[in-house]
Amino acid sequence: MRATAAAAARREAAARARAFAEADARALDGLVSVRPRQAVPRPQPVWDDAEMLVHEPAGERYRRLVLASSSIAHTALAGQFLMITVPPHAGDTILLPRPMAIHRRRPATADQPGTVELIYGVVGRGTRALAAVPVGGTLQVTGPLGRGFEFETGTRSALLIGRGVGICGVMGAAEDAQAAGIRTTMVLSGQRPEQLLGRADCAELGVRVIAVTDDDGSSDLVTLSAGLRAEFDGATPERTPPDVVMVCGAGVLARLAAELGAHWGVPVQASLEAHMACGLGYCHGCAAPVRTDASVEGPLVCADGPVFDARIPVD
Amino acid sequence: MVAVRADTEFPDARAAYAAAPGAATVDLSVRIGSLTLHTPVMPASGCFGPELGALIPVAELGAAVTKTVFGSARGGNPVHRLTEIPAGMVNSVGIPSRGPVGYLATLHPRYAALDVPTIISVGGHRPSEYAPVVAALGENGAAFELNVSCPNLDRNGTDIGSDPAAIREVVAAVRLVTDKPIIVKLPVLVASIADCARAAEEAGADAVCVANSIPAMPLDALTRRPILGNVIGGLSGPSIKPIVLRLVWLASRAVQIPVIACGGVETADDALDYFSVGASAVQVGTASFARPFAAVEVARGLQQRCRDAEVGTIRELLELDAAL
Repeated sequence: MRATAAAAARREAAARARAFAEADARALDGLVSVRPRQAVPRPQPVWDDAEMLVHEPAGERYRRLVLASSSIAHTALAGQFLMITVPPHAGDTILLPRPMAIHRRRPATADQPGTVELIYGVVGRGTRALAAVPVGGTLQVTGPLGRGFEFETGTRSALLIGRGVGICGVMGAAEDAQAAGIRTTMVLSGQRPEQLLGRADCAELGVRVIAVTDDDGSSDLVTLSAGLRAEFDGATPERTPPDVVMVCGAGVLARLAAELGAHWGVPVQASLEAHMACGLGYCHGCAAPVRTDASVEGPLVCADGPVFDARIPVD
Repeated sequence: MVAVRADTEFPDARAAYAAAPGAATVDLSVRIGSLTLHTPVMPASGCFGPELGALIPVAELGAAVTKTVFGSARGGNPVHRLTEIPAGMVNSVGIPSRGPVGYLATLHPRYAALDVPTIISVGGHRPSEYAPVVAALGENGAAFELNVSCPNLDRNGTDIGSDPAAIREVVAAVRLVTDKPIIVKLPVLVASIADCARAAEEAGADAVCVANSIPAMPLDALTRRPILGNVIGGLSGPSIKPIVLRLVWLASRAVQIPVIACGGVETADDALDYFSVGASAVQVGTASFARPFAAVEVARGLQQRCRDAEVGTIRELLELDAAL
């Protein structure tokens, strides 16, 4: 009965997708707000024709892109993103650029152009077309965009939490933390160990890794929360709570981070994702999940975020 | 003035692009009432913002067109507000607006700093709401584009722009409060685009813009639930061009005032298609998201095509093509 099995699998996938979307929306309800005005001025976004230097599989599930753009590599702040214009592929034209977090920034040296590294999953028409662009090809990119992660002066330690491709959203913060001498732990979460991104980056940046997966149950929200409390509730310097928590990857994870932040009495910054068209703020396509009066336009993920303050609502 | 400025230490692609417009040797100017645009290419409302002033050479466009300004402040629609399907982009942004006072205080100064005339898009929920907004905007802006693709709350939500009598009422009222050019932006779903265009012309409009996005309802392939928070959105992009070409053709035969075409323009050839069926100018919308300089490319392409054919006007270029 193959048809029956296929129908059951489809129903299951649809139910999972619905449940995930609903859980995420519930988790984010009332959770995030726009961060107070930042001290560091945001760089002027540019568009650039960036040569693709590397385009290869990253783990089981994703693809890694390294793009040459000295301008963007020089100015991009941690947690900012790019709009990637996807060239036509096999007769299919992709209309909207795709927003992607900047995973790594490597400024220009005397003999090398500056580069930005991005990681993406092939999930639909746009990313399938993107996956076909060869090394040596050129991608048109706009950025750096949005408001990223920001460390307050005097921050000594940080807990970063990333899940799936969301690990790329927080890796820029790990780069800044290393440069500022901030003691950093990063939770890498994913479905399977073979899919976990960021191990090599964390090793390079001297960031301690806590790897958790759905496979062994360690990424389960209750388990993870209990594990992190046990990890940071101690009395020794290594075990005192972090000064800040930064998170990217899912609404439920942002909520978990906010709960930890409330428990430890420290601020939490959460990076969100959204469907976008312009990435600059004028199209108003990416309303952030922030409760507002119906007569007032709320904040936008692209221009007011993607990084927001996350706090458990009092009501 | 806002200008595309190169970072000399770490150059990007913008400065080289801005510096290479090619000689504007052909006079492509077009008149919209008392307003002369140096090129017949402008952005579509909602697909442009002053943020682009530092990214593209805006001065190469004929005008900037604002997001629609409503009489009172209003928020946008719930998430998701936009998606891409194989047929094109579907958006249900819902046109958030700060009202004319908010617009003048926050957005207009940024438009005024751009090196092109600003066409202010104006909306209303009933025909009587348009003229007060235009009056409140006063001497600001070079022209007004009346977005009549809005549900008419006086008529159970039928689009104002699908009802020639309502169009007449809107335009006549606005004509009384401004001497500036009036453009009426008509919707796609109308019984007779000719009747709608004629109603605008007879009531004193200086141009019509044909058309707008097309009401559509995208579903998620897996869950079969509506993708958009508002359920319904507007379809735009290259797939709607043949639909809008027909409307532009019909409208152009019905009125003497200029017809501005808006629907799926990505290249100079798309613009020439619209000119060949009677349009005098084009608006570029969805294409600008993937290529912020798309409208500039269309304007440059028209210059290039005329230069290559050694003709001085688009009309001559089209006559050459028609003689093939």
